[in-house]
Amino acid sequence: MEVDLSKITLRPFKLEDADDFLLFAGDDQVTNYLRWQTLSSKQEALDHIKDVCIPHPWRRSICIDNCSIGFISIFPFSGEEDRFKANIGYGVAVKYWGHGIATKALKMAVPQFFADFPDVVRLEAFIDAKNLGSQRVVEKTGFQKEGMLRKYAYMKGKLRDMFIYSFLSTDLPANP
Amino acid sequence: MEVTSVVQLDQTKAKDECLNLSLRPLQVSDVDDFMVWASDEKVTRFCTWEPYTNKEDGLNYIKNTVVPHPWFRAICVDDRPVGAISVSANSGNDKCRGELGYVLASKYWGKGIVTRAVKMVVDTIFVEWPHLERLEALVDVENVGSQRVLEKAGFQREGVLRKYFILKGRSRDMVMFSLLSTDYHS
Repeated sequence: MEVDLSKITLRPFKLEDADDFLLFAGDDQVTNYLRWQTLSSKQEALDHIKDVCIPHPWRRSICIDNCSIGFISIFPFSGEEDRFKANIGYGVAVKYWGHGIATKALKMAVPQFFADFPDVVRLEAFIDAKNLGSQRVVEKTGFQKEGMLRKYAYMKGKLRDMFIYSFLSTDLPANP
Repeated sequence: MEVTSVVQLDQTKAKDECLNLSLRPLQVSDVDDFMVWASDEKVTRFCTWEPYTNKEDGLNYIKNTVVPHPWFRAICVDDRPVGAISVSANSGNDKCRGELGYVLASKYWGKGIVTRAVKMVVDTIFVEWPHLERLEALVDVENVGSQRVLEKAGFQREGVLRKYFILKGRSRDMVMFSLLSTDYHS
């Protein structure tokens, strides 16, 4: 399958995306390293879009030809002390792995996010030590690996080592 | 002359190591000792809070933060509080993790007291909290003394987290340290 990366776009989710959403959000391979429970019905997909995606501070559908094939989610922390930080997560349908789609989408999303949230200085990603694919994506996007946090948190019942990566607003290339 | 100063240095070091150190809960009745370190801007330099200026605020802190805290102890020399050490708790998926913090009156700096106190905490926290897998500490990149404490206590330096924290209005890089229950038991 050839993928034309210039056809990758980002937009907010719509209820009409439910079937496409279920294709990736209902797949254990995609949700393996996410905190989400794998979805199992169109109704759950509709509910998730309505209750989580749409009200979310910054969640975008990764689209090819306007069709949803994945998501990027950036969550600013709440509270006076933490609003300068945010956390990023993402997923792409398995059928589209291996084409550089996630990297392309992240490279589009990061500057958009910093423009939308000018108070945020630090964008961080926690990536499971075993998730090599995702580590490569964030590295190609320009995140800096800061270290490995040993036995940092439980994910789906197992204690995980996680790499912590960051992208600072000051890491953005200066405007020409 | 050289021999004498070496002997003096050894005697001072030996005296420091003999300091009668203990950990116990900090109480409202300790407020005057608390104010000694809490009002000192040398001590609060890397703390999120400004030096305390009145005893009423000190009392409120002890009543509202210290007493209900999951794990907070006064560091005592001869039973008098000269500092404090604490471990925070998390819930849910983060329950495996606790964060260590400590503070010491500046008069007592340089004697290895905090290193000893950290070792005392490490000796007990994994037993008191069997769900705890990871004890972590975040230290300002400029706070070299505190980094040395953790290194001497056996913590591993995991990396520098850039602009991780806002301290008194400025973003700071922080060094992340951790000690695992499995590090301790090996």
